[in-house]
Amino acid sequence: MVENARSINIAAGILLAIGILYIVGPLYLTLSTASQSYEYMLQNGLAWVPGTELFANMGKVINDTRIPIQMLNSMIVAFSNALATCALSFLSAYAIVYFRIRWAGVVFALILATIMLPLDIRVITTYQVASNIFSPLNAVLDVTGLNDLIAGAFGAPVHLELSVLNTHFGLIAPLVAHGTGTFLFRQFFMTLPKDLFKAARMDGAGPIRFLFDILLPLARPSVASLFVLTFLSGWTQYLWPLVGASTPDMQTAVVGLARLVPDADGQVPDFPMIMAGAVLVSLVPLTMIALLQRFLVQGLVLSEK
Amino acid sequence: MSSESSLFGHRWLPLLLVAPLMLLIVLFFYVPVFQAFYWSFFLEQPFGGGSEFVGLQNFRRVLTDPEFWAATGRTVVFMLTASSLAVIVPLMLAIAADRKIGLSYAARNILVWPKGIAGASIGVVFAFIFNPFVGLMAPLNTLFPGLWNPGIDGTDAFVTLVAAHVWSGIPFNFVILLAGLRSIPPTMYQAAAMDGAGPWRRIFDVQLPLIMPQLFLTFVLEFTESITSVFALIDTITGGGPGGSTSLLVYKIYVDGFRGFDLSGASTQTAILMVFVLLLAACQFVFLGRRLNYER
Repeated sequence: MVENARSINIAAGILLAIGILYIVGPLYLTLSTASQSYEYMLQNGLAWVPGTELFANMGKVINDTRIPIQMLNSMIVAFSNALATCALSFLSAYAIVYFRIRWAGVVFALILATIMLPLDIRVITTYQVASNIFSPLNAVLDVTGLNDLIAGAFGAPVHLELSVLNTHFGLIAPLVAHGTGTFLFRQFFMTLPKDLFKAARMDGAGPIRFLFDILLPLARPSVASLFVLTFLSGWTQYLWPLVGASTPDMQTAVVGLARLVPDADGQVPDFPMIMAGAVLVSLVPLTMIALLQRFLVQGLVLSEK
Repeated sequence: MSSESSLFGHRWLPLLLVAPLMLLIVLFFYVPVFQAFYWSFFLEQPFGGGSEFVGLQNFRRVLTDPEFWAATGRTVVFMLTASSLAVIVPLMLAIAADRKIGLSYAARNILVWPKGIAGASIGVVFAFIFNPFVGLMAPLNTLFPGLWNPGIDGTDAFVTLVAAHVWSGIPFNFVILLAGLRSIPPTMYQAAAMDGAGPWRRIFDVQLPLIMPQLFLTFVLEFTESITSVFALIDTITGGGPGGSTSLLVYKIYVDGFRGFDLSGASTQTAILMVFVLLLAACQFVFLGRRLNYER
């Protein structure tokens, strides 16, 4: 099709240039300020030209703050979140699609409903549950009167207590309790031809064999997409790690970065050092995006359908 | 073969397969959601000090608190401004990037980057860039004193939040909308061109109507997203200030619950916010969803 589209192409070019500038501008200013000294920043404000202090500032962050161990925490949280979400969602979607069970629709609806109310909204009571993960069990025993029976028989009611606050498990588990993965895999399984299943059955494959030898290899791109997506989401969490971890050594890097900024007004904070921290904290997820962008984009599109 | 054989017939295996995820979801989703509503009818003492049924008293207290209504008002204003911008800006970028021009390949790559940068990280960065003394506006501030100071002027602080929110929201909305645009069959454009519609006209007559499902979806998700994810931005950029002018509901709940130890008040506000979010989604489906034609 040949037509004169000059005006719209010029407009589109300008628009994209502005968009790229909007995204890259703050990132560039972060990097250039991170490479200047504190004194330079006091005199000139934010740096438009890069300096030579980048590694000195990063060294300050690595030696004087808890960011290194917090980055390890972020790594553990993001990786486990991605792994657990992929594995558990894959299994539950498999059960929902490939088994003759009457409650499949109900379970899927219950899982899907989690998408409506994000963790940030229910943080207060999630914190309470995490402070004693047996509290729902205790409440059920109390309400059903079972505890009265137990108290009558053994002399004391059952009251179990286990806090997962300030543990890696506590930071990860509420993130995994989410329906996007199950939804994504269910959609994927539905697109596979029914004959695949019949052929596998005819060849004598049982449920476990079918899962590992046929579905898993086929689903590899979907798994990779979900992995990238949940890894990034785990790394960038803020509110839950902020309340779920109480000691600096258990906090994630993003929370640690926010804590680098002093609360009190007065002296100008060491912005070059803080910006160097922001660069360090964003290094892992940005590298991941650069290397695995195909999967990220695919994951975003799949999670929508 | 009958349809019976197109599914496995095991009884216990599927139960075992969904159990781990269901356990986590019940424990960390349904119990907290239930507890928020349950606690809104009780007066909870912090640190397990017991509780007392008070009926609707918590709701009466929250609903007569002017601070609550102020925070709700700010939440709605933020939702409308920030989420509209967070959809319209990526929409324009997606329409531009859908054209085959030199910059569109670079844009498709670069515009996804913010996905890897935490809201709190970009909050720290924006707090610095918009710092009145050393940031971007510092030179202008020396020329016109008092022109820009998010530490004193609530509007300036609000604008900074919106700018940071739109920045972080670009990747998802851009990718979804671009995918929608790219799935429009080329024959549609050819047919429109035959009828004499130029490239500008086709934006409104072909592209926008055909990506309505994606546009609708981004709006639905963006409304919830703007209400919740703004927490990281508020906590790192403004701290709710100046003078509470950027204290949105999600931030107020956190402050009331974790700093004021007012568990009942925080739970009641959580319950109200949940109902609000669910109603919002329902409204959008009823009023917007009905007019959409998902068939291609």
